[in-house]
Amino acid sequence: MRYILIDRFLELSKGVRARAVKCVTNGEPFLRELETYPPALVLEALLQTGGVLARTGAPEGTMSVLGKVNRAEFPHSARAGDRIELSVDAVQVRPDGTMCQGRASVGETVVGEAEFMIVFLPSELAPPPDPERAQRREQLMRALKMPSLEEA
Amino acid sequence: MEENEIVSKVISCVADALGQDEEDVKLESVLSRDLEAESIDYLDITFQLEKSFGIKIEKDDLFPTKIFQDERYVSDGVVTSDGLAYLKEKMPYADVASFESDPKVIKVPELFTVGLLVNYVKTKVAA
Repeated sequence: MRYILIDRFLELSKGVRARAVKCVTNGEPFLRELETYPPALVLEALLQTGGVLARTGAPEGTMSVLGKVNRAEFPHSARAGDRIELSVDAVQVRPDGTMCQGRASVGETVVGEAEFMIVFLPSELAPPPDPERAQRREQLMRALKMPSLEEA
Repeated sequence: MEENEIVSKVISCVADALGQDEEDVKLESVLSRDLEAESIDYLDITFQLEKSFGIKIEKDDLFPTKIFQDERYVSDGVVTSDGLAYLKEKMPYADVASFESDPKVIKVPELFTVGLLVNYVKTKVAA
């Protein structure tokens, strides 16, 4: 994940559900030229939440990648100052992937809904381990106040 | 479950997973050649079938493609007699007999038709 769009996890139930928060601020580069938060980034935030959720149920020796976005809708827009709550359920869990359904809401207003598939591929296909990247990820997990995947 | 219902639901699953119109999905359609299925779509089809029929499909059960990387079953790009025997045992729902006349590995995707999915589901719902 190069752009982290999650500010905090509220819930992470292993292989079942994740809830996270993304606060939209006026300082974000995307909002300098746009009035509303881009739907593609709402989707990305849901995918990142689902990616972490799917990882908690993934077999050892695999890595998780986004396989497909089957459906995505954005009935309303988010704006600077909004607190987007991201809720993702793992609706089907298999040893080779997880089907997720996610909803992004600002209060009672739905700003995004998506169904997507996270796929587990053999770790051998991953690039060689990068200790610096691993350290950055650990720092990030702490910053997000998120339990490590091993603890989830 | 009636065969017509199985066929109709399988076609719906395939059309959904591949973004195709249902009228373009025929029993004889080859998933890759005719419906442009890519590797990731096979997993999506598996998810759709599990959900639609309420069945459990074990990993590599419906699409046991790993055997084609096994040198016991493949030699010089051709499926060996052991490989063909294994295929018949592992995929009784596939038309292995027609594949047998020219068992090149590059022709394996031709085995995976919508009709194969229907036959597979029939074995699962009857179980």
